[in-house]
Amino acid sequence: MELELGLAPPNDAGSCGKRRSAEAFGVKKPTLPLFLRDDDDDGDHGNGEDDTGDARDCEISMGNKRKRLVGWPPVKSAHRPRSNSHVKVKMEGVPIGRKVDLSRHASYHQLHHTLRLMFPSTSHHGDPYAVTYEDVDGDWVLVGDVPWE
Amino acid sequence: RKQKDNDTASLSTPSSPDALPAAAASPRAPPARASRRVASPGPATARAAPMGRGGARDGAAAAPPWHSLPDEVLEHAFSFLPAAADRGAAAAVCHGWLGAERRSRRRLAVANCYAAAPRDAVDRFPSVRAAEVKGKPHFADFGLVPPAWGAEAAPWVAAAADGWPLLEELSFKRMVVTDECLEMIASSFRNFQVLRLVSCEGFSTAGLAAITEGCRNLRELDLQENYIEDCSSHWLSYFPESFTSLETLNFSCLEGEVNFAVLERLVSRCRNLKTLKLNNAIPLDKVASLLRKAPQLVELGTGKFSAEYHSDLFAKLEAAFAGCKSLRRLSGAWDAVPDYLPAFYCVCEGLTSLNLSYATVRGPELIKFISRCKNLQQLWVMDLIEDHGLAVVAGSCSKLQELRVFPSDPFGAGQVLLTERGLVDVSASCPMLESVLYFCGQMTNEALITIAKNRPNFTCFRLCILEPRTPDYVTRESLDAGFSAIVESCKGLRRLSVSGLLTDLVFKSIGANGNCLEMLSIAFAGNSDLGLHYILSGCKTLKKLEIRDCPFGNKPLLANAAKLETMRSLWMSSCSLTLGACRQLAEKMPRLTVEIMNDPGRTCPVESLPDDSPVETLYVYRTIAGPRSDTPDYVQIV
Repeated sequence: MELELGLAPPNDAGSCGKRRSAEAFGVKKPTLPLFLRDDDDDGDHGNGEDDTGDARDCEISMGNKRKRLVGWPPVKSAHRPRSNSHVKVKMEGVPIGRKVDLSRHASYHQLHHTLRLMFPSTSHHGDPYAVTYEDVDGDWVLVGDVPWE
Repeated sequence: RKQKDNDTASLSTPSSPDALPAAAASPRAPPARASRRVASPGPATARAAPMGRGGARDGAAAAPPWHSLPDEVLEHAFSFLPAAADRGAAAAVCHGWLGAERRSRRRLAVANCYAAAPRDAVDRFPSVRAAEVKGKPHFADFGLVPPAWGAEAAPWVAAAADGWPLLEELSFKRMVVTDECLEMIASSFRNFQVLRLVSCEGFSTAGLAAITEGCRNLRELDLQENYIEDCSSHWLSYFPESFTSLETLNFSCLEGEVNFAVLERLVSRCRNLKTLKLNNAIPLDKVASLLRKAPQLVELGTGKFSAEYHSDLFAKLEAAFAGCKSLRRLSGAWDAVPDYLPAFYCVCEGLTSLNLSYATVRGPELIKFISRCKNLQQLWVMDLIEDHGLAVVAGSCSKLQELRVFPSDPFGAGQVLLTERGLVDVSASCPMLESVLYFCGQMTNEALITIAKNRPNFTCFRLCILEPRTPDYVTRESLDAGFSAIVESCKGLRRLSVSGLLTDLVFKSIGANGNCLEMLSIAFAGNSDLGLHYILSGCKTLKKLEIRDCPFGNKPLLANAAKLETMRSLWMSSCSLTLGACRQLAEKMPRLTVEIMNDPGRTCPVESLPDDSPVETLYVYRTIAGPRSDTPDYVQIV
């Protein structure tokens, strides 16, 4: 099974047609795959004749890190090693900023949810805000273009 | 069992699914047989009339004595049955017993907040003094459930406020608890004593302030691993100066500062304080001061236990701990300089529980510390302890019952700190070991077979090999043989998590041998539908099944649909299910709620999708409340 984690821009209305489990997060190809396995063919999970027992998983080594799967290994966020993952969040027109712990979030969706709670707005539909961040080059960039990882 | 089901069907009051199936499944509840006489201090007529022979009630069909026992007698008898399963069995005997049992039940545990409507639960059990309600599925702990899924505590608090004015204890796990909920709790129950929130979210320190201010008889405020918004409300200061009843205070998960002077005064005046778990904002020297004020503590959680080594602070700590003769349970975020560990050597011998799972301390000082804890029953530790550390544990902690070893670097380079050796040693030398959670990098069938042989008394065995589908690293085979040995040997196994490379065969073994198994977790395992079929057609007492990333499809689900009603819940994510099967399941089994979860942000109605649409996440649970009405847009009830 090919698992891809990536985010479509917030105003992209996904079609409601058939889509494969690989597109579980509303991704339109091409996206950056987090990892690939060569022991499963796309979408062919039925009987899995030749799938298992195959220990030669193709590993994408992202530096020295084990490939990231959502929710794996099954440790609670409290038990995950805490890096200094708090970031300051300021909203235009609001004098007092907030801090968000990114390591407690597993996706952009969760981050948006937290931000909506921290900066409540009167509109209840969709994403009332544009969320941007300052990248290493000092540019302000819309969040969501690169995989959450 | 069939007889009980018939009784249920004829009862007018809706029966809680947890009462009856639990009773049916409980191996401990004695079956209510007609020939058994109930011994009771009841009226003479009941005692004098032997079975079937009339006496005072001569007649064509003389009723057995226990039919005419007054309610007070029955309720008194039932007060000796604290276990919910046993009470459920008693309630299933006849209408009279049902009524007496439900009216006198004091403790209610609702394992799935959607299994019954809050109002119905309150109406059915009007005398409840202590209630526990659980919400989100277990995999929510690992980020597999997006936000705003549901599990709101508010309906339960509202129903309780209405129907249980004498409520004393409330416990919520994996639920959304708002500040409004906390305010309602504080103002609705005049004798409220115990609030326990585990893995909850949605509230802030302002809500806590309502509790501390309003609950005059509060004994326990236990906050475990919650996500609490910090409004800088001085919640601790709201305890009145006259308030002294606190026995448990756990705010370890709170991120912000607390007023230390207020805390110190609180601790000083609450002479019955037994459990104190601090957060990271309390530095070491303050911990020492608190201990001097509360030497009677039984359980202590330190905050961020780290500081530069200073000999005077060391002396302070040592003196403070020396005064704590009753200390039995210790935990904390010990990033400590190991030099401080000897400061509490004096408490080691008395410790029964040590939780170092947040502690990055390692090395010989850690091991020396643990080796002094000769009476340890429960040890939670990071894999930084390594195999040789566990070997020392094996040699020193002969009374160990529960071991949990967590990964210090779950996403890391795969540097192997801990192997199967550590677990083999502990299982060989700790005869009372019955519960294990073990994260490691490698495993062999031989090790598992040895462990199984050493410890047939396991009740909980959870092994997580960090890399999915890892085979036996020596033979390169699957770990089927190893896990089969575990289930064959451990006849009392109630909880099992499997990992590594596994084929359908291991599930055949689990299905056939897991006769006490109540909870099973499966990830990245199996080769076909057969695997799931073995589980669902076996495992007679299975309650919770959670599966992710396995090639299990529609057929075994539909073939075993009836089984799902005997279980509390089933979670399947990233498997091979399609919408059509879910529709069939929902149609066939009206007392199940079939929930489908697809990617958040999509609001496409499920009715418009074709049968062969893949289903990313399926969550099925039995309920007498019908479909819930609070689903977010990414959850659809089929």
